[in-house]
Parts: sequence; C-alpha cells; structure tokens
Amino acid sequence: METLDIKLPQMALLYGLCLLPWFLLWLIGLRLSRDIGIGILRMSIQLALVGIYLKALFDLNNPWLNGLWILVMLLVADLSILRRAGLKTRYFMLATFIAIATSILLSTAYLVILVIQPTHFYDARYIVPLAGMILGNCLQGNVIALERFYSTLRKNENEYTTFLMLGATRWEAVRPYFREAVKAAINPTIAGMATMGLVSLPGMMTGQILGGSEPWLAVKYQIAIMICIFTSTTIASIINLKLSLAIAFNAFDVLRDEVIKKP
Amino acid sequence: MLPIIRFDQVSVTAHGKSILSDVSFALFAGEKAMLCGKSGSGKSSVLRTLLGLHPLKSGTVYFQEQPLTPESVQFIRSCTAYIGQEPILGAESVREALLLPFQFKTHRDHRPTQAQLTEVLQRLQLPEDILNRDSSRISGGEKQRIALARGLLLGKKLYLLDEVTSALDAESKQVVFDVFSDPQLTVLSVAHDPEWMERCGSVYELEAGRLTQVKRNGNS
Repeated sequence: METLDIKLPQMALLYGLCLLPWFLLWLIGLRLSRDIGIGILRMSIQLALVGIYLKALFDLNNPWLNGLWILVMLLVADLSILRRAGLKTRYFMLATFIAIATSILLSTAYLVILVIQPTHFYDARYIVPLAGMILGNCLQGNVIALERFYSTLRKNENEYTTFLMLGATRWEAVRPYFREAVKAAINPTIAGMATMGLVSLPGMMTGQILGGSEPWLAVKYQIAIMICIFTSTTIASIINLKLSLAIAFNAFDVLRDEVIKKP
Repeated sequence: MLPIIRFDQVSVTAHGKSILSDVSFALFAGEKAMLCGKSGSGKSSVLRTLLGLHPLKSGTVYFQEQPLTPESVQFIRSCTAYIGQEPILGAESVREALLLPFQFKTHRDHRPTQAQLTEVLQRLQLPEDILNRDSSRISGGEKQRIALARGLLLGKKLYLLDEVTSALDAESKQVVFDVFSDPQLTVLSVAHDPEWMERCGSVYELEAGRLTQVKRNGNS
C-alpha cells in the first residue's frame, strides 16, 4: 500500500486553505499577514531543504554520511540546549555534547541493532528518523534539567551554603536540587507515556499509518520510541548535570557567576 | 598559643568592587570578638571570606595556622558554625533540621541520641515538643537557637554569628550568651548589641572594608 502523492496543483490548493484563517484573523482585526507569510514561507523552504537532504541521504545510504548527519544534529542540539537553558556555550559545550551523544547513541543503537535488526545497522531509513525523534525529545529534557537546576540553585544559594557549612560535600549539598531537576526533565515523558493514545494519536504512529503500515506495527514502533526517549532523556540529563557540576563551581564550591548568561 | 583564625593583609573584591582591603587580625581559641560598623562596611564579608565564599585578591586567611585553600576549606567549614539573622533550617521539621548534617558522610557516624537532643534543647531553653514542629512555623529567634543547637550537636568550637542578637528577646539572648560563656567556644560576631560588646574581649570596627579601630579587652 503506497501513500497517495500530493501533486503540484493540489499542493497549491493546500496553501489556499490558509486564506480562510487569514481572512478570519483579518476580520477580527488581527493584522498578522506578515507573520503568517513568514511562517509559511520558512516552513516550506526549510522542509524543502530537509527533503533534498534526506533524499540524498536515503539514496546514498552511506554509513559515514548518516553518521555525519547524526553528528550535525547533535551539535545543533548541543548549542540549542545551552542557549535555551541560559548557560554559556563556551563552558558547557563539551559536557552537554558528551551527555547527549552518549545517551542518543546508546538508545538508538540498542533499538536499531538489538531490537529492529535491519540488514545494515546504519540504514538511513531507520537511524535517521529514530535518532532524530529521540534527540528532539531528549533536547527538551536537557533544557529543563539544566535550567531548573541552576535557577533553583541560585534561588536557594543560602540554603546551599548552609548545607556546605553543615559538612556537606558539593555533591551532597546540590543533591536536592539535582533530584528535582532530573524529575522535572523526565516528568513530561512519563506523563506522556501515561496518557499516550488517549488524548491524541502520537505523531510517529500517525505517520506510519499514513505511510501504509499496519496499525499493530505502528503501535510497536511507538512503544519502542517512547521507551528510547524515556531512557535517553534520563541518561542525558543525569550525565549532563553531573558533568556541569565540575564546571559551574569554583574550587571553594561557590557557583561561578560568569558561567551563567545574564538575562 | 597559636591563633585559631588569622587574617593576614586580606583583600577581597566581588563583582569588580573592593569589599575588604588589607584586613589583618587574629582570634585565639576561646576568645569572643565582635565586628561592628555601618551596613555595607564589610562585616559579613569577613565571616564569608573565612568560609571560602569570597575568592581572595591578596593576603592569606589562616585557620589553625593552615592557609585557606580548596583542600582545607571543607575542614574549616566542618569546624565552624555560621548562624545568620534568619538561619536556614533546610528540612521540613525541626527534628529533621537538627539531624540534617548527620546525613552527610563526614558526620554520619555521630548521629545524636534522643537524650542528646533533649539535653541540647534544654540548654537553649527550647521546649522538647519543638522537635515535631514545622520548620516554617517557628520564629526567627527560635531558628537561631536551633541553628546554634545544631552547631553544639556537631561539637563545633568556632561560631560565626551574623546579627544574631537582633532577632532574640531578652530571655533568649541571656541563654545564648550563657552558652557562649563556655571558654571552649570561640566566637566571631557581627553585632550592635552593647550587652554583647561588654562580653567580647576584642572589638573591631570596619569602615568601607578596612579595619579602622581595634579594642582589646576594653582598651583601645
């Protein structure tokens, strides 16, 4: 069963649908034409570029090229995590990279090599979408973990110092904030698993069904991806926070001001 | 006798601003000393510097004649009790707050018995049922006495007090003064209290980060 193609005239028809919300927004006095235009244009160009790139990736199916793609994604995710968490890239770049690379490679390799077992483990059709989805979710988790940890620590600096004064090591003193940050990072994934399928059909499953897969197969892949997202988010946020502890404090266990971006 | 604390020409800057300049003094075991001066003169910074919370620009801080370094800071902290105006108890109930430091590896083997808890509460004239009270529902003065109790349970000998007497009523003040009349305990305090000043062997005055006046045993 092949998915039906959307031909060019139909594609134009599709864009035409935007005229309806645009008209409604105009009617209620919201002048968003510019934003809408930019949004639709950017989406189209970016996805077209991804399309061209993915097409090449799939046609060549070269292990090195696939690896390079994953590397680039990891680097982009690294920068994006630190920017959104409000930490300075030059201090934490390596730590965050190690954390996400370890967890993504581990969970993707586990899923592809041990569970799915394609003829070639580097098959772009599997590793590209799976690693990408896992990474996307892992990224959210790491932003929450870092942001929450350092903002809570700064808010509770007196409490943290009190713990130090009472004989705690740096690790003992940060542990309550560490636990809270990891919990905040993985909670959305746990909650997502608990309500999966009730509220809406998960994106990947929908895609597979549209792509012609049996619903059962789509369900199994959805479970696989959720377990991998949960695993990699947990591992990455723990490694990331743990590595950052060695960077963010001075030798006297005081949080260094210069590692955090000024708001 | 060697001093327990010695500041040797210590200067400290924080955020590009000088907060202590060329501060030198020594404190001997059992001594009670007081730092006074206007707010912002650097009194609390002296205490914080000793605890390694401000990086030194120049000079050396000695604790038992060992210089303050990243290696020695944990030892210094473990010998010292810092009690501020509104100490942070760091736990849900008062009992948990008192036992909090005994979760840490350094103190794990010295967990106090119920009898020791009762004794220290009595010494500070705190009712025994305070143990089960919620940390958020006790007054500033009680918090200070609990922080002090925690220091006593840890067997600390050096107490850094930051504006402690201001939150205490007359009766609790007396209790705290009596505790510190113990010649084994060394106290470095930031205070304005005249009664406390009388009990202090040394009084140092700070102005804009400089030690401007030193009184020893009441004499200038």
